[in-house]
Amino acid sequence: MFKELDPLLHSQLRLGVMSLLMSVESAEFTFLKEKTNATAGNLSVQLDKLSEAGYITIEKSFKGKKPLTTCTITKKGMKAFEEYVNALKQYIKP
Amino acid sequence: MKTKHDNLNPQESLELIKSMINQAKGNIGRSSFYFLLWGWVIALCNFGMYVIFKFTSFPHNAPYIWLLVVPAWIITLIHANKQQKQRGATTHLDEINKWLWITMAISILPVWFFGAKLNWMINAIVMMPIGSATFLSGIIIRFRPLILGGITFWFAGIACYLVTPSEQILIGGLAVMLGYLIPGYMLKNQREKNV
Repeated sequence: MFKELDPLLHSQLRLGVMSLLMSVESAEFTFLKEKTNATAGNLSVQLDKLSEAGYITIEKSFKGKKPLTTCTITKKGMKAFEEYVNALKQYIKP
Repeated sequence: MKTKHDNLNPQESLELIKSMINQAKGNIGRSSFYFLLWGWVIALCNFGMYVIFKFTSFPHNAPYIWLLVVPAWIITLIHANKQQKQRGATTHLDEINKWLWITMAISILPVWFFGAKLNWMINAIVMMPIGSATFLSGIIIRFRPLILGGITFWFAGIACYLVTPSEQILIGGLAVMLGYLIPGYMLKNQREKNV
């Protein structure tokens, strides 16, 4: 029986964000926006969804006078990502 | 990128993951600035020292040319600070790389400072930690010319024990051209190609 793909990760933008966060310690909002080519509004909504699920933490601070949003993947997020990739492999195996 | 659910098939998912991970590590070449800056500064110091030592009437002043490393340090710190602000994301390897060079600098700083006690025959000593840091940087960013550069420094360090003090200075200058400048320019070219 095929494992079901985590619907939270099975979306282009959220999967993109999670892949980026898997490879870095932490990333700023602007970095994620630039790498995913998403609009600020859409990215913001998707980040909130990931944060609500406990997959990432979002920290808001200030860099000088500019607001700074930094995202970090959580242990739960890493586990979910790994499970997602493992599930994907099942679908791809001939 | 949109938030599509339906038409993302497993193959596309994997491709997306791969491309994002590549994006995140796409910072190869960022460090070329430092290799070029320090490559030129150290080459200039070594060759300058040799020229003053050999061909002027004030050879005792030759070591003062190493004061050039002070502005080089200031430029390095300013540039690193600026780069960190622009980067937007930090990887663990970036951190390791940064501390690798800071610890390398800490280990060779006393040698420069107390160089007079060693009669300025310092290249034999400083080439070894520089070689290690260069070699490991090459491993970290997976860039073979830098790995070979590190090996060059180790050989140069050994060669320094076998030659006269003034020749040691020439070896230092030559090693830095092979170990920093050549990989530095290759890294820079590669980065420009990737952009």
